Amino acid sequence: MKGVFNMKHNKGLTFFTVCVYLFIFAPVVIIIMTAFGPDEVIAFPPKGFSLKWFVNIFTSDMFMKTFSISIQVAVIATIIALIIGVPAAYAMSRFDFKGKGLIKNIFFSSIIVPGIVFGFSIFNFIIIKWKLPIYTSLLIGHIIIILPYIIRVVASSLEGFDYSIEEAAVSLGASRLKTFFLVVFPNITSGVIAAFMLAFINSFNNVPISIFLTGPGVSTLPIKMMSYVEYYYDPTISALSVTLMIMTIGIMFIVERTLGLSYFSK
Amino acid sequence: MSFINLKDITVSYDGKVDILKKLNIDIEEGKLVSLLGPSGCGKTTTLRVVAGFIQPKNGQFICEKEDYTYIPVHKRNFGLVFQSYALFPHLTVFDNVAFGLKMQKVDKKDIKKAVEEILEVVDLKGYNSRYPKELSGGQRQRVALARALVIKPKLLLLDEPLSNLDAKLRLKMRAEIRKLQQKLGITTIFVTHDQEECFSISDKVAVMNGGLIEQYDTPEEIYTNPSSEFVARFVGFENFIELDKIGDNIYQSKSGVKFITDISDKDTKTKEKLVGTIRPDNIKIIDNENEAENNILEGIVDVRTYLGKEYQYSISTEVGTILVNANNEKIYNQGNEVKLYLPANKLVLV
Amino acid sequence: MKKKWFYTLLIPGLTLIIVFLFIPLIYTIGSTFIGEEGYSFARYIEFLKDGYYIKIFNRTLRIALITSLVCMILGMPVAYYISRTKKSVRGIFIACTVFPLLTNSVVRSFAWMTILGSNGVINKLLMNLNIIDKPLKLLYTESAIIIGTVYLFLPLMVVSLVGVMENIENDLLEAAESLGANRIKAFFKVIFPLSVPGLIVGCVLVFTGAFTAYTTPQLLGGNTNIVLSTLVYQRAMTLGDWTGASVVATVMIVTTLTVIGVINKLASRLNERGV
Repeated sequence: MKGVFNMKHNKGLTFFTVCVYLFIFAPVVIIIMTAFGPDEVIAFPPKGFSLKWFVNIFTSDMFMKTFSISIQVAVIATIIALIIGVPAAYAMSRFDFKGKGLIKNIFFSSIIVPGIVFGFSIFNFIIIKWKLPIYTSLLIGHIIIILPYIIRVVASSLEGFDYSIEEAAVSLGASRLKTFFLVVFPNITSGVIAAFMLAFINSFNNVPISIFLTGPGVSTLPIKMMSYVEYYYDPTISALSVTLMIMTIGIMFIVERTLGLSYFSK
Repeated sequence: MSFINLKDITVSYDGKVDILKKLNIDIEEGKLVSLLGPSGCGKTTTLRVVAGFIQPKNGQFICEKEDYTYIPVHKRNFGLVFQSYALFPHLTVFDNVAFGLKMQKVDKKDIKKAVEEILEVVDLKGYNSRYPKELSGGQRQRVALARALVIKPKLLLLDEPLSNLDAKLRLKMRAEIRKLQQKLGITTIFVTHDQEECFSISDKVAVMNGGLIEQYDTPEEIYTNPSSEFVARFVGFENFIELDKIGDNIYQSKSGVKFITDISDKDTKTKEKLVGTIRPDNIKIIDNENEAENNILEGIVDVRTYLGKEYQYSISTEVGTILVNANNEKIYNQGNEVKLYLPANKLVLV
Repeated sequence: MKKKWFYTLLIPGLTLIIVFLFIPLIYTIGSTFIGEEGYSFARYIEFLKDGYYIKIFNRTLRIALITSLVCMILGMPVAYYISRTKKSVRGIFIACTVFPLLTNSVVRSFAWMTILGSNGVINKLLMNLNIIDKPLKLLYTESAIIIGTVYLFLPLMVVSLVGVMENIENDLLEAAESLGANRIKAFFKVIFPLSVPGLIVGCVLVFTGAFTAYTTPQLLGGNTNIVLSTLVYQRAMTLGDWTGASVVATVMIVTTLTVIGVINKLASRLNERGV
C-alpha cells in the first residue's frame, strides 16, 4: 500500500539509487573475483579458481612485515591516542570554559590540514631537522591524525550524560580519579571501543602521512601495496585487497555492535 | 446526496489486519464534523484517506458527486492542518501561506492581496517576514490555518491541531477555529481524542472504535443517548448494570431489582439482554421515607472521594459497585447504608 | 588550582598537536619565505609565473570541482532515497555506504586500475564484442583520476546528506503536496533548501578531499597527470627539493583554508535564516 509508513518510492529514483550502488560495488566484486583467478594477468571474468595469490601474500616476507608494522603502528598509536583523547573528550563535554571553541578547533585541526601537507611537514621538520627516528615520527603522525576521531566519538558518547552520578560518587567518598574510572568510564565503554576501531582502521589505511615516513625497515602496508602496484601487476594485490576488506568488515561489525553504524549519518 | 460521502472504505496496512472496516459516513456542506476516539481507532487513517495519502483497499470517497478515491493529493485542493503544523522552516510566514497559491500559478499581485487578507483574519497582520522558528505555538498554528484556508479549499482537514498547545490556548483557538469555519462556511473534518473539545465545536460527531463508527450524531444526542457501551464510557458514563427484559420498558437485574426506562437506541430496544448505564451525577441518594418501587438500589458506602465541588461515593450494591456524585449538603461516611434512586429518564440502555 | 583542574586533561593533547603539527607546519610554511636576501614572497611570485605550476594547480582545482559537482548530483537523490526508507532497510544502506569509506584508498584506486587498464575489464569487454581492435587509453588520464576520486568521495557526500535529510519530516512533504506541489516540485521547494546544511558539509569534505588526495591521482593519473599532492611528493622525495615542496604544500593549505572559510561564511549566513 502506498504512502503509508514512508513516501511512495518513485520508480525512477529507485532505479537511480540501484545504479549508483552498482557503481559502488562493481569494482569490489571485480577485485574479489580476480583474487581467486589462476592467471598471472588480472583477468575478468576469471578463468578458474585458485588460492595461490592468497598464499603468495602470506608467504611474502615483504607483505607480512609491512602488515605487521601497520598493525603495530595502528595499535600503539590508537592506544596512545585513547590515553590522550578520552580525558580530553571528557573535559570538553563535561565542562564549559573560556576558549573551548578555540581548543576544539585545535584538536580537530589535523582534519583540516591536508594529509600530504602534514606528512611532508613532519618529515621536513621532525626527521630532517630534529632527526627523530622514522618509527617514532610515524607513530606521532598517526596519533595526531586519529586523535580527532577518538575525541569526536567519545564526546558524542558523553552527550547527554547524567553527571549527577559523579556527584553521588564523590559524596560517597570517591576521589575524582576513582570517580572517573568507576563511574564515568564504565558507561562509555562501547563508545571507547568504537573509537578504537575507527581510529585503528584510519591509521591502518593511512597513506599521506605514511608515505613520507618510510625508511629502511619501516614501511606500512598501504605504501608497500602502492609501490608494488606501480611495478607489478598481478592478482596478489587483489588477494591482499580481499584480505583487507574482510578485516574492514570485521571492524564494521564491532562498530555496529558498540556504537551503531547510524553514527555516521548524524 | 451529501457533500462528502465515504462508502464502505476498507483500509489495511499489511493486507492482514483491517484498520478501517467498511467505513461509511456522509457529511453535509458547511458542517464541522469531528472524528472522535481513542488512539488507534482509525480516525487519523480516515482523515488521510480523505486527504489522499492513503488509497483504500476497497470503497469510494465521493466529494461533490465526483469520485476522489484515486485522485493524487496535489490535485485535490483540500486544506490540511497537521498536528505538528508542518510549516516550512526555510520560508517566511508570507511565503508559507503563499505556497499553495504559487502552486496554482496565481498572479503575484493577487497572491499578495489574498495572503495579507487571510493573515489579518487570523490576527497575524504584520508577521509577513518572520520565520516559523520565531513564532510561538499559537502563532504557528494560525499560520498553518491561514496557509490551508487561503487556497479556498473545498474541504478543511484538521488532524489534532490543538494537542500541542497549552490548556488556555486550546480553549481560545478552538473557539476561533469554529468561528472562522462558520464564517467561511467551509466543510470541515476535525480529528481529536479530546471529547470536550470535540463536543464544543462540532455540528456532528463520529465516535470511532477499532475502525468502525459506533455512533454518528449531534453532540447532544451522543451525550445523553450513547448507543453503545463503548460510546457511553467514552462520554463519561459509569455504572454498567446487566439487565434482562421482562416487559415493555421494564427490565430486571440479575438480583431481581426492577428498572423502568425508555431511553435507548431503536436497535437496542429489540435485544433481550442489555446493559443499563447512568452518569454518577444523575443518581440521587434518597432517604428511606421514599416509597418508590422501581429503580431503587440499596447499598453501603465504601469510599468517599472529595472532588472539590462535590463528593463521589463508591457504593457497594447487589448489582456491583455504583459511583454516585453528590453535593456536600449531606455527607455520608464509610459504612453508611444508603438508598439510591436511578431516574428512568437518565438510565440509558446500551 | 582546584577550580580549573580539568585543564590538565587537555594539556597532553594540545601539546602534542602544537609541537608536532603546528610548529612543523609553521616551519615548513615559513621556510618558503626565506630567500638569499631575507624574507620575501619571491618563490610565490615564481610559482604564479610558472606555466607548469599553474597548469598543475588548475588541473587539481578542476578535478576537485568536477568531483564535487558529480558527487552532489549523484549523492543528493541517493541520500534522499535512503532517508525515506524504513528504519530496518536503512541500516543496510548505511552499512553499504560506510564500507567503501573504511576500505583502503589503495584498494579502491587499484580496483579502477583493473577496470580501466589496457587489459582491464572495459577494454577486454569492448574488444571481445569487437567494438574496438586496439585498447582505449582510459587509465593514466585526467578522467581516470576524476572517476577514481568520485568513487572515493561519493559515499562521504551521501553520508553527510542522509543525516540532514532524515530530519526533514514527512509532514513537510505532505503539507507541500496538499498545497498542490507534485513530487518534483516538492523536492526542489522543500527538500533541497532544507538539505543545504548537509550539502555544504559534504561539499567541503569532498572538495578538500579531492583537492588534496594523493593515492588516487598517483595510481590512476600516473606521471603525466600530476596534481598538487603528487607534486609535493615528487619535489620532496624524488628531487630532494624541500623548499620547492614546501611552496606547493603552502599553496595547498592556503587554498583549502580559503575554500573552507568562504563556504563556512555562506553557511552561517544561511543559518541566520533559521534553516
